[in-house]
Amino acid sequence: MSGPNEDKNTQLSSHFFGDLLDSIIVDVASECHRIAKLGLDRNLEEEEEEMRLSVQARARVADPSNSSETNTKYVVDIFGQTHPSVATEIFECMNCGRSIAAGRFAPHLEKCMGKGRKARLKVTRSSTAAQNRYSRGSPVSAYSPYSNSTSTNRLSNGTPSVAGEEYSNGTYEEPWNKT
Amino acid sequence: MAVHQGEKIKIPKHSVNRPPTPDAAEDQGKEPTLQEIINIKLIESGEKERLMELLRERLIDCGWKDEMKALCRAHVKKKGRNNVTVDDLVHLITPKGRASVPDSVKAELLQRIRTFLMSAAL
Repeated sequence: MSGPNEDKNTQLSSHFFGDLLDSIIVDVASECHRIAKLGLDRNLEEEEEEMRLSVQARARVADPSNSSETNTKYVVDIFGQTHPSVATEIFECMNCGRSIAAGRFAPHLEKCMGKGRKARLKVTRSSTAAQNRYSRGSPVSAYSPYSNSTSTNRLSNGTPSVAGEEYSNGTYEEPWNKT
Repeated sequence: MAVHQGEKIKIPKHSVNRPPTPDAAEDQGKEPTLQEIINIKLIESGEKERLMELLRERLIDCGWKDEMKALCRAHVKKKGRNNVTVDDLVHLITPKGRASVPDSVKAELLQRIRTFLMSAAL
């Protein structure tokens, strides 16, 4: 258990351990070198860049000539995008099936769904059946987020006497109401 | 031409900067050292690779690698990324690296190596 062989063994083991460690050290150094050269380490220059950008931004804000040029129609957001003042994306109204622009959707729904005088006269084919099924205590108010206050008030009365009432019941049929 | 082992007739060539090619005769006189034999055995059996992976894993787990990377990053920040060579970093890390290996890791690896030596060398 003792003797020159043991020492030799220990010496050799240490030598090989040192060997392995050196290889690993070179690997780590090489990796760090690569990261540094390729600029993959964001933190390194991030602060410098942020300082520069903030100085630029401050200069731009402080500059009086800039504010008069700002066109409110073409305001630029932080990503550099501009938006038109009326949202232009078009989709289908789930109630009447028409193509509506997003920016015009709310007023359209008002007319489409019950605030307007004309809307009350609309009767969907399922409304009669709906009226029979969900006439009183209809939980439409819970499920349809688009009901405006007037129709909800009528519902709470629970009397399906007006055409508008039918209409509100009819909306319960629509799949999109079941949110 | 009688050339004693270890002696060479050197013709200085200034255009070429490399050590003279060892003679074939010189090699035959040398015995591979025990170290070299064991090294070959380690590599051929695949044990060296396994040991390296084990050491690498242990060093990552105990945070040693992160410490070394932090040292490198600090150095790069100071010198500027385009002025740093791999050599710089190696010379930077080696003393610290050798000294900061946790004792448990070192013991584990030494044990494995010793076991291998016992089984292979004799």
